[in-house]
Amino acid sequence: MRDILRKEMTLSASPVTYFFIVFGLMFFLPGYPVLCSVFFVTLGIFKTFQNAREANDLVFSALLPIAKKDVVKGKYLFTCMIELVSFAVMSAVVLLRMTVLKDLAVYRENALMNANLFALGAGLFLFGLFNLIFLGGFFRTAYKFVSFIRYIVAAFAAVIFFEAVHYVPGLGAVNAFGFAHLSLQLGLLIIGALSYLVFTMVSYRYACRSFEKIDL
Amino acid sequence: MDIAEIKNLTKEYPTFRLSDVSFALKKGRITGFIGRNGAGKTTTIKSMLNLVHPDTGEIRYFGMPLAGHEAEIKQRIGYSTGSVSWYPRKKLSTIAAVSKRFYLNWDDDVYQHYMKQFGLDERKTPLELSEGMKVKFTLVLALSHKAEILILDEPTSGLDPFSREELLEIFTMLRDSGTAVFFSTHIVSDLEKCADDILYISHGSIVAAKLKQAFRDAYSQAGETLEDTILRMEKGAAHA
Repeated sequence: MRDILRKEMTLSASPVTYFFIVFGLMFFLPGYPVLCSVFFVTLGIFKTFQNAREANDLVFSALLPIAKKDVVKGKYLFTCMIELVSFAVMSAVVLLRMTVLKDLAVYRENALMNANLFALGAGLFLFGLFNLIFLGGFFRTAYKFVSFIRYIVAAFAAVIFFEAVHYVPGLGAVNAFGFAHLSLQLGLLIIGALSYLVFTMVSYRYACRSFEKIDL
Repeated sequence: MDIAEIKNLTKEYPTFRLSDVSFALKKGRITGFIGRNGAGKTTTIKSMLNLVHPDTGEIRYFGMPLAGHEAEIKQRIGYSTGSVSWYPRKKLSTIAAVSKRFYLNWDDDVYQHYMKQFGLDERKTPLELSEGMKVKFTLVLALSHKAEILILDEPTSGLDPFSREELLEIFTMLRDSGTAVFFSTHIVSDLEKCADDILYISHGSIVAAKLKQAFRDAYSQAGETLEDTILRMEKGAAHA
Protein backbone atom coordinates (compact mmCIF):
# COMPACT_ATOMS: atom_id res chain seq x y z
CA MET A 1 0.00 0.00 0.00
CA ARG A 2 2.84 2.35 0.88
CA ASP A 3 4.63 1.56 -2.38
CA ILE A 4 1.64 2.29 -4.58
CA LEU A 5 1.01 5.57 -2.74
CA ARG A 6 4.66 6.49 -3.12
CA LYS A 7 4.38 5.71 -6.84
CA GLU A 8 1.36 8.01 -7.10
CA MET A 9 3.15 10.81 -5.27
CA THR A 10 6.44 10.48 -7.15
CA LEU A 11 5.48 9.54 -10.69
CA SER A 12 1.81 10.29 -11.29
CA ALA A 13 1.08 13.46 -9.31
CA SER A 14 1.06 16.87 -10.91
CA PRO A 15 2.85 19.53 -8.82
CA VAL A 16 -0.30 21.62 -9.29
CA THR A 17 -2.19 19.16 -7.08
CA TYR A 18 0.12 19.85 -4.15
CA PHE A 19 0.08 23.59 -4.79
CA PHE A 20 -3.73 23.72 -4.87
CA ILE A 21 -3.85 22.51 -1.25
CA VAL A 22 -3.09 26.16 -0.46
CA PHE A 23 -6.60 26.99 -1.64
CA GLY A 24 -7.75 25.62 1.70
CA LEU A 25 -6.69 29.03 3.04
CA MET A 26 -9.55 30.57 1.06
CA PHE A 27 -11.65 29.75 4.14
CA PHE A 28 -10.15 33.00 5.45
CA LEU A 29 -11.76 35.09 2.69
CA PRO A 30 -14.68 37.20 3.85
CA GLY A 31 -17.57 37.74 1.45
CA TYR A 32 -16.43 34.84 -0.71
CA PRO A 33 -18.10 31.44 -1.21
CA VAL A 34 -15.60 29.48 0.89
CA LEU A 35 -16.71 26.13 -0.49
CA CYS A 36 -15.18 27.11 -3.83
CA SER A 37 -11.83 26.32 -2.18
CA VAL A 38 -12.94 22.67 -2.00
CA PHE A 39 -13.66 22.80 -5.72
CA PHE A 40 -10.19 24.24 -6.42
CA VAL A 41 -8.56 21.42 -4.45
CA THR A 42 -10.48 18.84 -6.51
CA LEU A 43 -9.48 20.71 -9.66
CA GLY A 44 -5.87 20.22 -8.56
CA ILE A 45 -6.48 16.49 -8.10
CA PHE A 46 -8.09 16.35 -11.53
CA LYS A 47 -4.84 17.79 -12.93
CA THR A 48 -3.02 14.72 -11.60
CA PHE A 49 -5.42 12.45 -13.45
CA GLN A 50 -4.77 14.39 -16.66
CA ASN A 51 -1.05 14.15 -16.03
CA ALA A 52 -1.29 10.43 -15.36
CA ARG A 53 -3.26 9.79 -18.52
CA GLU A 54 -0.70 11.57 -20.68
CA ALA A 55 2.13 9.62 -19.01
CA ASN A 56 0.47 6.20 -19.64
CA ASP A 57 0.43 5.82 -15.88
CA LEU A 58 -2.45 3.36 -15.66
CA VAL A 59 -0.89 0.89 -18.10
CA PHE A 60 2.46 1.19 -16.30
CA SER A 61 0.71 0.56 -12.98
CA ALA A 62 -1.35 -2.34 -14.34
CA LEU A 63 1.86 -4.02 -15.47
CA LEU A 64 3.44 -3.85 -12.02
CA PRO A 65 3.29 -7.02 -9.92
CA ILE A 66 0.16 -5.96 -8.07
CA ALA A 67 -3.53 -6.76 -8.43
CA LYS A 68 -5.51 -4.41 -10.66
CA LYS A 69 -7.61 -3.28 -7.72
CA ASP A 70 -4.40 -2.03 -6.10
CA VAL A 71 -3.94 0.34 -9.03
CA VAL A 72 -7.36 1.80 -8.19
CA LYS A 73 -6.47 1.81 -4.51
CA GLY A 74 -3.37 3.91 -5.26
CA LYS A 75 -5.44 6.57 -6.97
CA TYR A 76 -7.98 6.64 -4.12
CA LEU A 77 -5.27 6.78 -1.46
CA PHE A 78 -3.60 9.69 -3.19
CA THR A 79 -6.88 11.54 -3.72
CA CYS A 80 -7.98 11.03 -0.11
CA MET A 81 -4.56 12.11 1.15
CA ILE A 82 -4.77 15.42 -0.75
CA GLU A 83 -8.39 15.92 0.34
CA LEU A 84 -7.63 15.27 4.00
CA VAL A 85 -4.53 17.48 4.05
CA SER A 86 -6.62 20.27 2.48
CA PHE A 87 -9.35 19.55 5.00
CA ALA A 88 -6.79 19.94 7.80
CA VAL A 89 -5.81 23.37 6.41
CA MET A 90 -9.48 24.37 6.20
CA SER A 91 -10.10 23.09 9.73
CA ALA A 92 -7.23 25.18 11.10
CA VAL A 93 -8.71 28.28 9.45
CA VAL A 94 -12.19 27.46 10.77
CA LEU A 95 -10.78 27.05 14.27
CA LEU A 96 -9.26 30.53 14.04
CA ARG A 97 -12.50 31.98 12.69
CA MET A 98 -14.46 30.29 15.49
CA THR A 99 -12.18 31.71 18.17
CA VAL A 100 -9.89 34.72 17.81
CA LEU A 101 -11.49 36.02 14.60
CA LYS A 102 -15.15 35.35 15.40
CA ASP A 103 -16.12 38.93 16.11
CA LEU A 104 -14.35 40.58 13.17
CA ALA A 105 -16.81 42.83 11.35
CA VAL A 106 -15.75 41.55 7.90
CA TYR A 107 -16.84 38.05 8.92
CA ARG A 108 -19.95 39.16 10.83
CA GLU A 109 -21.21 41.14 7.82
CA ASN A 110 -20.60 38.24 5.44
CA ALA A 111 -23.72 37.63 3.33
CA LEU A 112 -22.51 34.18 2.37
CA MET A 113 -21.82 31.07 4.39
CA ASN A 114 -19.75 31.45 7.53
CA ALA A 115 -16.62 29.28 7.79
CA ASN A 116 -17.81 27.08 10.65
CA LEU A 117 -18.19 23.35 11.41
CA PHE A 118 -21.16 23.13 9.03
CA ALA A 119 -18.91 24.54 6.27
CA LEU A 120 -16.33 21.85 7.06
CA GLY A 121 -19.05 19.17 6.88
CA ALA A 122 -20.20 20.62 3.56
CA GLY A 123 -16.58 20.55 2.38
CA LEU A 124 -16.32 16.85 3.20
CA PHE A 125 -19.61 16.27 1.41
CA LEU A 126 -18.15 17.97 -1.70
CA PHE A 127 -14.96 15.91 -1.51
CA GLY A 128 -17.16 12.81 -1.26
CA LEU A 129 -19.11 14.00 -4.29
CA PHE A 130 -15.84 14.31 -6.22
CA ASN A 131 -14.86 10.76 -5.26
CA LEU A 132 -18.30 9.40 -6.06
CA ILE A 133 -18.89 11.11 -9.38
CA PHE A 134 -15.45 11.79 -10.85
CA LEU A 135 -13.34 8.93 -9.54
CA GLY A 136 -16.09 6.33 -9.85
CA GLY A 137 -16.90 7.54 -13.36
CA PHE A 138 -13.28 7.79 -14.50
CA PHE A 139 -12.53 4.11 -13.93
CA ARG A 140 -15.36 3.08 -16.25
CA THR A 141 -13.01 3.88 -19.14
CA ALA A 142 -9.76 4.97 -17.43
CA TYR A 143 -9.32 7.71 -20.04
CA LYS A 144 -12.53 9.76 -20.45
CA PHE A 145 -13.02 12.84 -18.29
CA VAL A 146 -16.74 13.37 -18.87
CA SER A 147 -17.39 12.47 -15.24
CA PHE A 148 -15.48 15.59 -14.20
CA ILE A 149 -18.06 17.72 -16.04
CA ARG A 150 -20.81 15.86 -14.17
CA TYR A 151 -19.00 16.55 -10.92
CA ILE A 152 -18.70 20.28 -11.72
CA VAL A 153 -22.47 20.53 -12.27
CA ALA A 154 -23.25 18.61 -9.07
CA ALA A 155 -20.61 20.49 -7.05
CA PHE A 156 -21.86 23.93 -8.04
CA ALA A 157 -25.45 22.98 -7.32
CA ALA A 158 -24.30 21.78 -3.89
CA VAL A 159 -22.20 24.93 -3.27
CA ILE A 160 -25.17 27.18 -4.11
CA PHE A 161 -27.37 25.14 -1.76
CA PHE A 162 -24.89 25.21 1.15
CA GLU A 163 -24.05 28.89 0.71
CA ALA A 164 -27.71 29.93 0.73
CA VAL A 165 -29.37 27.41 3.05
CA HIS A 166 -29.04 29.64 6.13
CA TYR A 167 -31.51 32.07 4.51
CA VAL A 168 -34.27 29.45 4.70
CA PRO A 169 -36.52 30.44 7.63
CA GLY A 170 -35.64 28.39 10.70
CA LEU A 171 -32.23 27.30 9.41
CA GLY A 172 -30.24 30.38 10.46
CA ALA A 173 -28.39 28.32 13.10
CA VAL A 174 -26.36 26.52 10.44
CA ASN A 175 -24.54 29.80 9.92
CA ALA A 176 -23.52 30.04 13.58
CA PHE A 177 -20.47 32.02 14.74
CA GLY A 178 -17.97 30.89 17.33
CA PHE A 179 -19.22 27.97 19.42
CA ALA A 180 -22.91 28.86 19.16
CA HIS A 181 -25.27 25.97 18.33
CA LEU A 182 -22.32 23.65 18.83
CA SER A 183 -24.27 20.39 18.95
CA LEU A 184 -26.05 21.21 15.68
CA GLN A 185 -22.76 22.27 14.11
CA LEU A 186 -20.99 19.11 15.25
CA GLY A 187 -23.90 17.00 14.01
CA LEU A 188 -23.66 18.60 10.57
CA LEU A 189 -19.90 18.01 10.52
CA ILE A 190 -20.44 14.34 11.38
CA ILE A 191 -23.07 14.01 8.65
CA GLY A 192 -20.56 15.52 6.18
CA ALA A 193 -17.85 13.11 7.36
CA LEU A 194 -20.18 10.13 7.07
CA SER A 195 -21.26 11.11 3.56
CA TYR A 196 -17.56 11.41 2.63
CA LEU A 197 -16.90 7.90 3.92
CA VAL A 198 -19.95 6.35 2.29
CA PHE A 199 -19.46 8.11 -1.07
CA THR A 200 -15.78 7.14 -1.17
CA MET A 201 -16.36 3.50 -0.23
CA VAL A 202 -19.21 3.07 -2.73
CA SER A 203 -17.17 4.75 -5.43
CA TYR A 204 -14.04 2.68 -4.66
CA ARG A 205 -15.89 -0.61 -4.93
CA TYR A 206 -17.55 0.45 -8.14
CA ALA A 207 -14.21 1.68 -9.59
CA CYS A 208 -12.46 -1.63 -8.72
CA ARG A 209 -15.18 -3.58 -10.52
CA SER A 210 -15.09 -1.26 -13.54
CA PHE A 211 -11.29 -1.25 -13.83
CA GLU A 212 -11.18 -5.04 -13.63
CA LYS A 213 -13.47 -5.27 -16.65
CA ILE A 214 -11.98 -2.73 -19.05
CA ASP A 215 -9.30 -3.32 -21.67
CA LEU A 216 -6.29 -1.01 -21.51
CA MET B 1 8.06 -27.39 -18.51
CA ASP B 2 6.77 -24.56 -20.67
CA ILE B 3 7.36 -21.09 -19.24
CA ALA B 4 4.14 -19.82 -20.79
CA GLU B 5 1.17 -21.61 -22.28
CA ILE B 6 -1.55 -19.83 -24.21
CA LYS B 7 -4.58 -21.93 -25.04
CA ASN B 8 -7.55 -21.14 -27.28
CA LEU B 9 -7.44 -17.40 -26.82
CA THR B 10 -10.40 -15.68 -28.44
CA LYS B 11 -11.33 -12.02 -28.44
CA GLU B 12 -14.09 -10.51 -30.50
CA TYR B 13 -14.07 -6.83 -31.58
CA PRO B 14 -16.63 -5.23 -33.89
CA THR B 15 -14.21 -5.36 -36.84
CA PHE B 16 -11.66 -7.96 -35.74
CA ARG B 17 -11.58 -11.40 -34.18
CA LEU B 18 -8.66 -13.10 -32.46
CA SER B 19 -9.48 -16.75 -33.05
CA ASP B 20 -8.39 -19.69 -30.99
CA VAL B 21 -4.78 -18.59 -30.48
CA SER B 22 -2.65 -21.29 -28.85
CA PHE B 23 1.11 -21.62 -28.38
CA ALA B 24 3.77 -22.30 -25.77
CA LEU B 25 7.04 -20.57 -24.88
CA LYS B 26 10.10 -22.35 -23.55
CA LYS B 27 13.02 -21.34 -21.35
CA GLY B 28 16.15 -20.14 -23.15
CA ARG B 29 14.51 -19.65 -26.54
CA ILE B 30 13.70 -16.65 -28.69
CA THR B 31 10.27 -16.76 -30.25
CA GLY B 32 9.50 -14.27 -33.01
CA PHE B 33 5.83 -13.42 -33.30
CA ILE B 34 5.35 -12.31 -36.89
CA GLY B 35 2.34 -10.87 -38.60
CA ARG B 36 1.32 -7.80 -40.54
CA ASN B 37 -0.08 -4.70 -38.85
CA GLY B 38 -3.51 -5.49 -37.43
CA ALA B 39 -3.00 -9.26 -37.50
CA GLY B 40 -3.60 -9.59 -33.74
CA LYS B 41 -0.10 -9.47 -32.28
CA THR B 42 -0.73 -6.63 -29.84
CA THR B 43 -4.11 -8.04 -28.75
CA THR B 44 -2.43 -11.38 -28.03
CA ILE B 45 0.39 -9.73 -26.07
CA LYS B 46 -1.97 -7.47 -24.15
CA SER B 47 -4.05 -10.54 -23.26
CA MET B 48 -0.89 -12.25 -22.03
CA LEU B 49 -0.28 -9.24 -19.75
CA ASN B 50 -3.90 -9.05 -18.58
CA LEU B 51 -4.34 -5.62 -20.15
CA VAL B 52 -7.00 -7.03 -22.46
CA HIS B 53 -9.61 -9.54 -21.34
CA PRO B 54 -10.01 -12.41 -23.78
CA ASP B 55 -13.54 -13.73 -24.27
CA THR B 56 -12.31 -17.29 -23.86
CA GLY B 57 -9.00 -19.08 -23.42
CA GLU B 58 -6.41 -19.80 -20.80
CA ILE B 59 -3.07 -18.16 -20.05
CA ARG B 60 -0.59 -19.94 -17.78
CA TYR B 61 2.91 -19.00 -16.69
CA PHE B 62 5.27 -21.31 -14.79
CA GLY B 63 2.40 -23.80 -14.55
CA MET B 64 0.07 -21.28 -12.87
CA PRO B 65 -3.01 -19.65 -14.40
CA LEU B 66 -2.62 -15.87 -14.83
CA ALA B 67 -6.05 -15.37 -13.31
CA GLY B 68 -5.60 -15.48 -9.57
CA HIS B 69 -1.77 -15.40 -9.66
CA GLU B 70 -1.23 -12.12 -11.49
CA ALA B 71 1.01 -10.40 -8.95
CA GLU B 72 3.13 -13.51 -8.37
CA ILE B 73 3.56 -14.10 -12.11
CA LYS B 74 4.37 -10.48 -12.90
CA GLN B 75 7.25 -10.68 -10.42
CA ARG B 76 8.84 -13.15 -12.86
CA ILE B 77 8.07 -11.57 -16.24
CA GLY B 78 9.33 -8.49 -18.03
CA TYR B 79 7.50 -6.59 -20.72
CA SER B 80 7.64 -3.76 -23.17
CA THR B 81 4.54 -2.55 -24.91
CA GLY B 82 5.90 -1.06 -28.11
CA SER B 83 7.17 2.47 -28.29
CA VAL B 84 4.94 3.70 -25.45
CA SER B 85 6.97 5.80 -23.08
CA TRP B 86 6.14 6.03 -19.41
CA TYR B 87 6.36 9.32 -17.57
CA PRO B 88 8.16 11.18 -20.39
CA ARG B 89 9.36 13.98 -18.11
CA LYS B 90 10.56 11.94 -15.15
CA LYS B 91 14.19 10.96 -14.77
CA LEU B 92 15.03 7.32 -15.46
CA SER B 93 16.50 7.12 -11.97
CA THR B 94 13.12 8.16 -10.48
CA ILE B 95 11.19 5.62 -12.56
CA ALA B 96 13.63 2.89 -11.57
CA ALA B 97 13.59 3.90 -7.88
CA VAL B 98 9.80 3.63 -7.78
CA SER B 99 9.65 0.43 -9.85
CA LYS B 100 12.18 -1.46 -7.78
CA ARG B 101 10.07 -1.26 -4.65
CA PHE B 102 7.50 -3.57 -6.24
CA TYR B 103 9.93 -6.37 -7.12
CA LEU B 104 11.14 -8.89 -4.59
CA ASN B 105 14.08 -9.94 -6.77
CA TRP B 106 15.30 -6.47 -7.74
CA ASP B 107 19.08 -6.31 -7.88
CA ASP B 108 20.70 -2.86 -7.93
CA ASP B 109 24.00 -4.25 -9.17
CA VAL B 110 22.27 -5.84 -12.16
CA TYR B 111 20.45 -2.55 -12.78
CA GLN B 112 23.70 -0.55 -12.76
CA HIS B 113 25.41 -3.20 -14.89
CA TYR B 114 22.81 -3.05 -17.68
CA MET B 115 22.42 0.75 -17.52
CA LYS B 116 26.15 0.96 -18.16
CA GLN B 117 26.17 -1.78 -20.77
CA PHE B 118 23.31 -0.17 -22.72
CA GLY B 119 24.82 3.31 -22.41
CA LEU B 120 21.82 4.74 -20.54
CA ASP B 121 22.20 7.90 -18.47
CA GLU B 122 19.77 7.74 -15.55
CA ARG B 123 19.66 11.53 -15.30
CA LYS B 124 17.84 11.62 -18.63
CA THR B 125 14.08 11.47 -19.11
CA PRO B 126 12.26 9.16 -21.56
CA LEU B 127 11.53 12.28 -23.63
CA GLU B 128 15.27 12.64 -24.22
CA LEU B 129 15.72 9.02 -25.34
CA SER B 130 15.57 7.61 -28.84
CA GLU B 131 13.08 4.78 -29.48
CA GLY B 132 15.89 2.23 -29.22
CA MET B 133 17.06 3.62 -25.89
CA LYS B 134 13.49 3.53 -24.55
CA VAL B 135 13.26 -0.17 -25.38
CA LYS B 136 16.65 -0.72 -23.74
CA PHE B 137 15.49 1.03 -20.58
CA THR B 138 12.42 -1.23 -20.47
CA LEU B 139 14.78 -4.17 -20.82
CA VAL B 140 16.94 -2.88 -17.97
CA LEU B 141 13.87 -2.70 -15.69
CA ALA B 142 12.88 -6.23 -16.68
CA LEU B 143 16.38 -7.66 -16.29
CA SER B 144 16.95 -5.95 -12.94
CA HIS B 145 14.13 -7.94 -11.39
CA LYS B 146 15.52 -11.09 -13.03
CA ALA B 147 12.59 -11.70 -15.33
CA GLU B 148 12.52 -15.26 -16.61
CA ILE B 149 10.56 -14.30 -19.68
CA LEU B 150 10.52 -11.07 -21.67
CA ILE B 151 7.37 -10.21 -23.59
CA LEU B 152 8.03 -7.42 -26.05
CA ASP B 153 5.56 -5.83 -28.43
CA GLU B 154 7.37 -4.67 -31.58
CA PRO B 155 10.59 -3.69 -29.81
CA THR B 156 12.43 -3.20 -33.11
CA SER B 157 9.74 -1.08 -34.74
CA GLY B 158 11.04 2.40 -35.53
CA LEU B 159 14.66 1.53 -34.82
CA ASP B 160 17.48 2.24 -37.26
CA PRO B 161 19.25 -0.86 -38.64
CA PHE B 162 22.19 -0.44 -36.26
CA SER B 163 20.04 -0.20 -33.15
CA ARG B 164 17.94 -3.12 -34.35
CA GLU B 165 21.01 -5.25 -34.86
CA GLU B 166 22.24 -4.28 -31.40
CA LEU B 167 18.90 -5.14 -29.81
CA LEU B 168 18.73 -8.51 -31.51
CA GLU B 169 22.23 -9.25 -30.22
CA ILE B 170 20.99 -8.45 -26.72
CA PHE B 171 18.12 -10.91 -27.21
CA THR B 172 20.63 -13.58 -28.20
CA MET B 173 22.73 -12.83 -25.12
CA LEU B 174 19.66 -13.08 -22.89
CA ARG B 175 18.56 -16.31 -24.54
CA ASP B 176 22.02 -17.76 -23.88
CA SER B 177 21.66 -16.90 -20.21
CA GLY B 178 18.38 -18.87 -20.04
CA THR B 179 15.79 -16.12 -20.44
CA ALA B 180 12.83 -16.78 -22.72
CA VAL B 181 12.33 -13.92 -25.18
CA PHE B 182 9.00 -13.45 -26.95
CA PHE B 183 8.85 -10.51 -29.31
CA SER B 184 6.40 -9.44 -31.94
CA THR B 185 7.55 -7.89 -35.18
CA HIS B 186 6.46 -7.28 -38.73
CA ILE B 187 10.06 -7.25 -39.92
CA VAL B 188 10.98 -10.71 -41.20
CA SER B 189 14.73 -10.10 -41.09
CA ASP B 190 14.44 -9.87 -37.27
CA LEU B 191 13.41 -13.52 -37.29
CA GLU B 192 16.19 -14.49 -39.68
CA LYS B 193 18.75 -12.96 -37.36
CA CYS B 194 17.84 -14.28 -33.96
CA ALA B 195 14.60 -16.26 -33.60
CA ASP B 196 14.68 -19.94 -32.65
CA ASP B 197 10.94 -20.37 -33.08
CA ILE B 198 8.48 -18.65 -35.37
CA LEU B 199 4.89 -17.93 -34.49
CA TYR B 200 3.05 -16.61 -37.52
CA ILE B 201 -0.32 -14.93 -37.09
CA SER B 202 -2.59 -13.76 -39.87
CA HIS B 203 -6.07 -12.24 -39.63
CA GLY B 204 -6.33 -13.12 -35.95
CA SER B 205 -5.39 -16.80 -36.30
CA ILE B 206 -2.13 -18.63 -35.75
CA VAL B 207 -1.02 -20.01 -39.11
CA ALA B 208 2.20 -21.66 -37.92
CA ALA B 209 4.09 -22.25 -34.69
CA LYS B 210 7.35 -24.01 -35.48
CA LEU B 211 11.11 -24.05 -35.07
CA LYS B 212 12.63 -21.70 -37.63
CA GLN B 213 14.11 -24.51 -39.69
CA ALA B 214 10.94 -26.57 -39.48
CA PHE B 215 9.02 -23.50 -40.69
CA ARG B 216 11.31 -23.24 -43.71
CA ASP B 217 11.02 -26.96 -44.41
CA ALA B 218 7.25 -26.85 -44.20
CA TYR B 219 6.48 -23.67 -46.10
CA SER B 220 9.44 -22.35 -48.13
CA GLN B 221 9.73 -23.13 -51.80
CA ALA B 222 13.07 -23.64 -53.52
CA GLY B 223 15.22 -20.50 -53.50
CA GLU B 224 12.83 -18.54 -51.29
CA THR B 225 14.02 -16.47 -48.37
CA LEU B 226 11.98 -16.48 -45.17
CA GLU B 227 10.65 -13.05 -46.14
CA ASP B 228 9.53 -14.33 -49.56
CA THR B 229 7.81 -17.27 -47.89
CA ILE B 230 5.89 -15.17 -45.38
CA LEU B 231 4.93 -12.59 -48.00
CA ARG B 232 3.62 -15.37 -50.26
CA MET B 233 1.70 -16.94 -47.39
CA GLU B 234 0.24 -13.57 -46.39
CA LYS B 235 -0.85 -12.84 -49.97
CA GLY B 236 -2.41 -16.30 -50.14
CA ALA B 237 -4.28 -15.64 -46.87
CA ALA B 238 -5.51 -12.29 -48.21
CA HIS B 239 -6.87 -13.96 -51.37
CA ALA B 240 -8.38 -16.88 -49.50
